This record gives sequence, structure tokens and C-alpha cells, in this order.
Amino acid sequence: MASSRILPEFELLIPQSIKEAVDLLGKLKNKASVMAGGTDVVISCTKGFGSPNVISLAEIPALDYVEYDSKSGLRIGAMATLQQVADNADVQKRYPALWKSAAINGTPQTRNMGTVVGNIMRASPSGDCICAILAIGGKVVLRGSKGKREVSIDDFYIKYRETACKSDELAVEIKIPAPAAGSCNAFARMTRTTLDLSKVNVAVRLDMSGKTVKEARVAIGAVAPTTIRLKKVEALLKGKQITDDVLQKIVETVPTEIKPIDDVRSTAEYRRDVAGIMVKRIILEALGK
Amino acid sequence: MAESVIGKRIPKVDSREKVTGQAMYAGDYRMPGMYYGKVVRCWEYASAKVKKLDFTEALKMPGVVKILGPDDVTKKPYNTTVMKLLVPEIFGEVFGEIADLNIFNKIVKHQGDAICGVIARTEEAAERAADKIKVTYEPLPVLMTCEESKAEGAKKNGYLFTPLKPGNKAFDLPASFFPNQRYGWNDKDGKTAMELFDKCDYVIEDTYYVPKQKQCQMENHSYVAHYDERGRLNIWTSTQMAKPVQVLIAELFELPLTRVRLVQTIVGGGFGVRLGMIGEPHCCAMAMAVPGHPVRMEFLREEDWVASETRYPGHIWFKCGFKKDGSPIALDSMYMARKGGYYTHGSGPPFCFAAFIHGMYKWQAMGCQTEGYFTNEVPTGAYRGYGNPQLAFSGEQMITRMCKELGLDELEWRKKWHKGIGDETWLKGVTFASDGLNDCLDVAAKESGWYEKKKKYAKQTGVKRRGLGVSVMQHTSGAFPMLLEHSVCTAKLNEDCTVELMQQISDLGTGGHTAITQMAAETLGFPMEDIHLRSGDSDMCGFDIGAHASRTVYCAGPATIEACESVKKQLLERAAQLLEANVKDLQMKDKIISVKGNPQKSISAIKIAKEGVYNYIDAATGKTIGIPGQIQGYSSFFAKHCSPPFGACISEVEVDTETGEIKVLKLVNAHDIGKAIHPPSVEGQLEGGAQQGLGFVLTEEYAYDKMGRVLNNDFTDYKMLGPSDMPDAKIILIESAPDPIGPMGAKSCGESALMGPIGSVANAIFDAIGIQFKEAPITPEKVLKAIKEQGLQK
Repeated sequence: MASSRILPEFELLIPQSIKEAVDLLGKLKNKASVMAGGTDVVISCTKGFGSPNVISLAEIPALDYVEYDSKSGLRIGAMATLQQVADNADVQKRYPALWKSAAINGTPQTRNMGTVVGNIMRASPSGDCICAILAIGGKVVLRGSKGKREVSIDDFYIKYRETACKSDELAVEIKIPAPAAGSCNAFARMTRTTLDLSKVNVAVRLDMSGKTVKEARVAIGAVAPTTIRLKKVEALLKGKQITDDVLQKIVETVPTEIKPIDDVRSTAEYRRDVAGIMVKRIILEALGK
Repeated sequence: MAESVIGKRIPKVDSREKVTGQAMYAGDYRMPGMYYGKVVRCWEYASAKVKKLDFTEALKMPGVVKILGPDDVTKKPYNTTVMKLLVPEIFGEVFGEIADLNIFNKIVKHQGDAICGVIARTEEAAERAADKIKVTYEPLPVLMTCEESKAEGAKKNGYLFTPLKPGNKAFDLPASFFPNQRYGWNDKDGKTAMELFDKCDYVIEDTYYVPKQKQCQMENHSYVAHYDERGRLNIWTSTQMAKPVQVLIAELFELPLTRVRLVQTIVGGGFGVRLGMIGEPHCCAMAMAVPGHPVRMEFLREEDWVASETRYPGHIWFKCGFKKDGSPIALDSMYMARKGGYYTHGSGPPFCFAAFIHGMYKWQAMGCQTEGYFTNEVPTGAYRGYGNPQLAFSGEQMITRMCKELGLDELEWRKKWHKGIGDETWLKGVTFASDGLNDCLDVAAKESGWYEKKKKYAKQTGVKRRGLGVSVMQHTSGAFPMLLEHSVCTAKLNEDCTVELMQQISDLGTGGHTAITQMAAETLGFPMEDIHLRSGDSDMCGFDIGAHASRTVYCAGPATIEACESVKKQLLERAAQLLEANVKDLQMKDKIISVKGNPQKSISAIKIAKEGVYNYIDAATGKTIGIPGQIQGYSSFFAKHCSPPFGACISEVEVDTETGEIKVLKLVNAHDIGKAIHPPSVEGQLEGGAQQGLGFVLTEEYAYDKMGRVLNNDFTDYKMLGPSDMPDAKIILIESAPDPIGPMGAKSCGESALMGPIGSVANAIFDAIGIQFKEAPITPEKVLKAIKEQGLQK
């Protein structure tokens, strides 16, 4: 252990194209980390968890887009900052869960540097954008030496801080489908103070047909090694109207689906106790109740 | 007389330079030939012996100048605090003062203990070399509680922190000074509190826990030291106590004061963390190893966390007895504090805890015992409030609970039973000279809607419950007569009739420099811009204790006033001579001195000042023109009292009973300031204090792992409230009880603001859900667990 503000030495590689970046990753394999905004990578370096090589995406052109159309949905490029996403009118209107997860993320300074794709790739179990996107649904677009592939966010997180992205692949985009009519989504988190990492975060997407839930996606973070979907809760919701009875069952079911731990931010017991309440409240919030 | 500047909302004298970034903090200094020092600390262990220290690889690193180990610097033990200068030696001995710190250590007593120091040509080189130093440790037992420390110290070959303190007991109240080892008083028949409980109708007994809280000042500790070619040791530091630290450094390095120059740089927040020395010994030791080269040394934030001092955590036991009508009969109490790895402030804050009980309510008898044991934690020391926040959390909750159980109005009880004029203050034998507490309570009750809302919230149902809590406090203005309170001021009249004040005033961001300048301007009747306060350089300033115990305006202000009165008197005396008039018949307005009732007979003060300096000979007469001699005023002032200010705070909270989350909706803090010299600064003190008080009661505490390593040594994991977390805070300055002793009626405000938010928020939570929390901070985790276990009690 040491204390230092001097960055350990590393090679800073600044590719000019996606291809060049992918080639570098192919060559360096696990000995490189990818840096978008740097708000996580640089901190990791000073804490002694850095890589010998850092590949910066800063000079790859045209990766900082946030684009929406009603057919293909939302596309967020790897260099689009949290603030860009938070400021986007389509995101605000159609994806309130994603909007909130970006708008409350970190501090104004880190939101101006950090990216949504970076938040996804860091794979922190408490990542706020992860929670929102896991609920809304979407795909991570990966580029590797063998070309392009898309991985559903549902299959993206494998275990603690580990994703389906291979060491020679680069995440270039997040794709989120356009919300169907009657679909709504919302995100909430619990923290110790405003500027903090989540103790617990929750998000839902409810596809409604009148008062009945057609489909539900419920995600929760910081209560397991990865952000997870609450499948039993989703099953409880599917085909039902939201009644007090259903909500009460959900409150009771949530703790059976999570495996929280004690840490500096909270306790396992507390997380178990509030997770159900948070899910109940976010369902009501999504429905505008 | 120019228009009075006292009580005016004028800009602070130093605000522009601070907000434009022109203010020079110690970390901003760069000097020719400057080197950089890096202290190598033990991060792996909280308790260990250094088996081997290997510099071989580090010395090969580029840019390294020297590496100093424990044997390369003075081995004279020292204490960080200046306490020994503030009390007679015999008093320190009775209290068990010791010096148990070394600059570099072979035994690690807490994580962050300094092992050695690297001096290099650049900061980066110093850090890279520090990384290459190999230290081999032998782990020793890790003792994290008083019980563990006491048990280990009692063993025959148990681990002792220092041979000077048998049994690992760091301090207690000496029996030779304190009967029953308690601070307090007996009733009129000589009975102790313990002997009176039988006579009480209602006895309440409880144990509370208070947290280890960090000051979290904005500026990291930075120093530049330079052992120059004249053999003088110069140090630039933002210590709160410039003159006493100069003395401590002179003693540690065995130099006369003429060879130690301490320059106090702008202080980027203090709150007690800089009350004495922190990194000064290390930086000076490194500078002395490379004469001629200034050495700059800066703590990183995580170093501050493990290698400076914190608030005293521990357990507080209370037993209190009352009559049915609430009359307070007896209070007995005990504060068992965890000391951390070194003695530092020793019994200071726990004794003051007892003292603030002493000053608050009219018990027939009271006693408080305090004890502390060494633990393998970061040492404890001074933090704004110095024992009083611990009382706010425990004592004020106890009073509220008693009132609730006896069906009394807790606000009225406090009005009735708090001490006031003529009663003994926190210090035996010293009585209150002013008391504005009832006014504070009345105004706070009105502003918060106390009575209406209490009624309204009594019938609440639903998930979110609101509550109101009140808390009162009394503090101190300087620490006289327990401690020395001495301030020196020289006021030099320039030849253009402006004034240069030379006085060591520590302004930690408090507005002290502004208030002192206002007091000088007021005394002289000069405009503010004609007064300049020069402060900070020991080569220029006379003695001053520095900033502690909320003393600056109260203890140093009178020195300023006396020195300026002397300047004014000398001006009038010269005018009297020149006008052939009596001094008592003269008045000065807009720098014109005239005979009262005869404005034609006048002389300019500017002329007198100028002729005093440029005292030419008139060629025609052969006589001097005017009266010779530059005018200077001087005061060496010793405080006469400690005029404790009172304060009352009411908080309104909302508790989410499903999640345990607490939202402070409003906070009203009314403070008995006597007279606010610079109201915006007083309000700033009270707002800033609220942030720290709310942190104490809601979020802040050190977290350690089993090895004694800090788990939250940064702002990611140690949570203070930020601006967006702060409630609507209404600060009210009560000036209905100007103090007859304090300068211009002023009492202190520096530390007072923490206590009210602590006690009132804890009491508001109790009011909202009917459950009282004995452990601070009161987190949602604790609230929800309590609701789960006990159910809502309301």
C-alpha cells in the first residue's frame, strides 16, 4: 500500500480510429485498459489498479453521439458524456430512468467527462446507468478483430466486474429500443448524501395495456455481485393490475432474490429491508402514481 | 467620528483575494533551490515494530537527495499540542501531560505513523523513491477499544503504548485535584450527586456513543521549511497557533527563538486540526538536513485522515435524578474516550465535556468522571466544540426524554433550569455575566413554529413522520482562567495618519481579520481602509495564543482596542499641547482634532502624524516643526473572563419509516452573540458549524477494519453533508444580552454552532418516531433496525 498522487507509469496509446483501437486491444489483450472520460480509469491508476497500457478514445472521431429515432431507438456512442445524455431531450422524454441515472451520476465535473458507455463497461454492481439500461433493455455494440457483434444487456454481466466484452473487443455503442406505446420506465437510488455511490439502486420498465402489465423488467443494483433483474418480481407483475396486494407480494419477494453484503456504505440487512420498498415505490413512480 | 463600522455588513477584508485565487496558501509557495519532502508512512499495520528499513533501491532513484530514518533526526520526544505553554508546569504534571511522539518511528502505534522521510529535487521523484523504500514489520497486537487496551495493559507482559502510562490508561481526572475523580459540585449539605439519587422521584440512566469525526478542512496540510544561510529555521505553515508552534519548534530543535521564524500562511480551514503541530516537525527536520534548500512537504488527503488528529470518540454514561415536577437534583456521569495512538490533547476534550455539563443546568449536585485509553487509531485531538458536541448528543437527549416521560414542556424546562447571571460557568469560581438564552429560545420557538407544529405532529399517521427537537448549549470565549489567554498588539501610526496593526491574528476563514480591523477603525474613528492588519510573521508580531477556544475577537480584540486607544490618546495629547488646550476638552472627528464647542480651534491629526515623523527644523526659528516622534500604541492584554455565549437550536425532521431515511427540513439556530462585530461572519460561522454538527449526528464516522486500517480515508467513503444536503438553515443573532466584559459587548461564535444541530436533530427524530438513538451518527440503517425491533413508539 502506498499513498501517492503521482500516476504510476503507463503507456498512453491514442488511436485515431476504431480499427486502430481494436488492433491495439488485440495486440495487448489483458494488458490494456480503455479510457473514455478517465473518471474511473485514472482513479484506478492512482490506487495501484492501473494497467501498463491505457488506450484513450479521445481522438477517435464521431463517437460522442446521442441519437434517437422512432425506428432504431436510442444510440449512445462510447464518448457521449453523462451530461450529454442527461441534456438530451429524447432521453428526458422517453427514457426517464436513463435520464435520471445519468443526471445524478457523480458530480457536475465528472458528468462532463465520464461517459454512459464507460459506466456500463466499468461493470460496478452499483453503476446507476447499468441499472437503468438493464431495466429498459438494450444492446452493447462491440467491435473486435473479427468484426462487430451485439450483446444484449441481459447477457452482458457475467460476474463481479466481469462482462461479456472480450479483451480484444471495444464497446463502441449502446442501443436502446424505442419505447412501445404504453411503456414507461423509472429509476431511483438511495445514497448517504447527494454526491455518493448508490447503496441500492432500482429501475423498472413496465409495458402497460390499459391498467394491466403486459411485460415488466425490474433491475436492482448494489445488492449482488452484478446488477440483476428480479425475475420473480417480473413474473408477479406480468399480466396483472397493480394492486396493493401485488405490491405487498413484491415487497416480500425482492429480498429472496438478492444477496447483499455489508460495506462502508450500508449493511446487508438494511439493503434487504429497503430493496422491496424501493421496488414498490419505483413501480408507482413509473406509473405516475 | 466616522460612521460606526461595528455590526455593519461590510465585505471581509480578505474575501477578494480568496475568491479570485490570489491568496497564497503554503502549498502555493515556490522558492529557488526548493526540494520536496515526502513522509513514508506505515499503511499496512496499525500496530507493529519496524524490523528492517532498507533505503538501497530508493537511493538509486533519480532526483533523490537524502533519505532520513528515525536515527537521522532528533529523537527528542514531543507532543503536538501547545497545552504545556498554556498552563503552569506543575498543573501539566498533575494532569499527566507527556511527550510521546517522535518524528520518525520504529514502533507503529496507528496506521499512518511516520517511518522515514525522502528529500528529492521534485515532488514526483520524492514519491517514486518513497515507493521503493522497503520496510519490514513485525505485527503487534491491535487494540481498538478501551476494554481491549485496558485488558492488554493489565497483563504482566502486555503491550504498552508508552511506559509513561501504565495499564495503557492515557488519562483520568487526578484524585489530588478532583474529589472522587469527578469534576462538579456537591449540594448545600456537602452530599455528592451519587448520594442524592435516593431523594429523587425519577432517575434516568443511559449510555451513549459518540463518533470519531474528522475535521475535513479544505486545505491539505502543506509546509515549506528553510534552514537558511544565517542558521535560521524558517517555516511557512497554516497552523492555527502560530506563536506557540514557533516555541514548540524552537524547543524540539533546540534553537533560540531568534533563530526560528514562523510565517503563518492563509489558513484553508482549521476546525482544531491545526491546533498545534502536525507535519511541522517532519518538514523542519528534513529542511535542517539540507541547509540552504527550502523543503516543501504536502500531505495528501488520505494522509490527513491517518496522520493528524480527530474528535474523541467513546462511550458516555449518564445518571440523572429529578423531582416529579422536573426539578433537577443530581447528575453523575462518565466519559470513557478512545485516545488513539498518542497522548496529544490528553484529558482536554473529555475534561471540557465535564466542564460544559458544569455550565449548563442547575443541579443540586453534579459530577463527571472522564477516562481514556490508548488505542491503535489515529490520535484524537481538537475539533471544533472540544467535548461540547458529545454533550449535545447525550445530555440534551437525556433532558428531552425526562421531559417527555414526566409530561413536561422541554422548551420551558430549559428556560427554567439553565444557569444564568451569577451562576458558575463551565469553570468553577467563574460566574456568568450575561445570559441571552431565554431570548434565543423564544425567538427560535417562534421562527420554527414550535408550539403549533408540536401540536399538529402529535396526531400523525402514515409513512413519513415529522418531528421537532430543541437543544441548548453554552460554550466559552477563550479559555481563561483555566488557560493563559495573552495577546499582543502594536498599532503603528503611519506618517499619513493611517494605521498599521501588527498582531498575530489567526483567521481560519472565520472573519477574525475583518472583525479586528473593524474594532481598530471604531476605536480610532478612522475609516476601515485606513487600517491595515499585518499578521502571520513571527519576526514582526508579538505574542498571541492563536485560534482556539473561540477566542480571537474576545481575547485578541481587546489588545487591538487598547493599542488603538493608546494611539488616539497620544494624538490628543500632542494636539492639546499644540492647541494649548486640555486633552479632556478635545474631540477627534474625520481626523480633525478640535476643542469641544469651539470648532475653529482645531488641528489636523494628519499634520501631527506627519510632523512626528518628518520633524524638520524651521530655518527661521531654529526650532522643530511640530512634535517629534512616530506614534505607536501597544498592548499586552490578558483576558479577564471567558463570557460564555448561549445558544438554542430547533430542528424539524421527517423520518421515512419504511426506509429509515432522515430529512432535516429546517433548522433554526439562535445564538447569544452579545454583539456581532461583523454579522455576516458570525452567520457564516453558525452555518458552517451546522454542516459539521449535522454530519456528527447523521453521517460522519471513521470506519476501521479488524487490522486497524481506515476504510474510509477519502470523501468517496467518508460522507460529510454537501451544499445540496443542507437544510433550510435560519440563523438568528441575539444581541439582547451584550456582555459587560467582552469587547464592545461581544461573546464568541466560532465553535458554538455545532452543538445545537446535534442535540436538536437527535431530539427531533425522537419526537417523530418515539425512539431515541443512543449511538451517533443516526443512520437510516440504525433507524430502520430500531423501528423493526421496537415498532413506532408514536
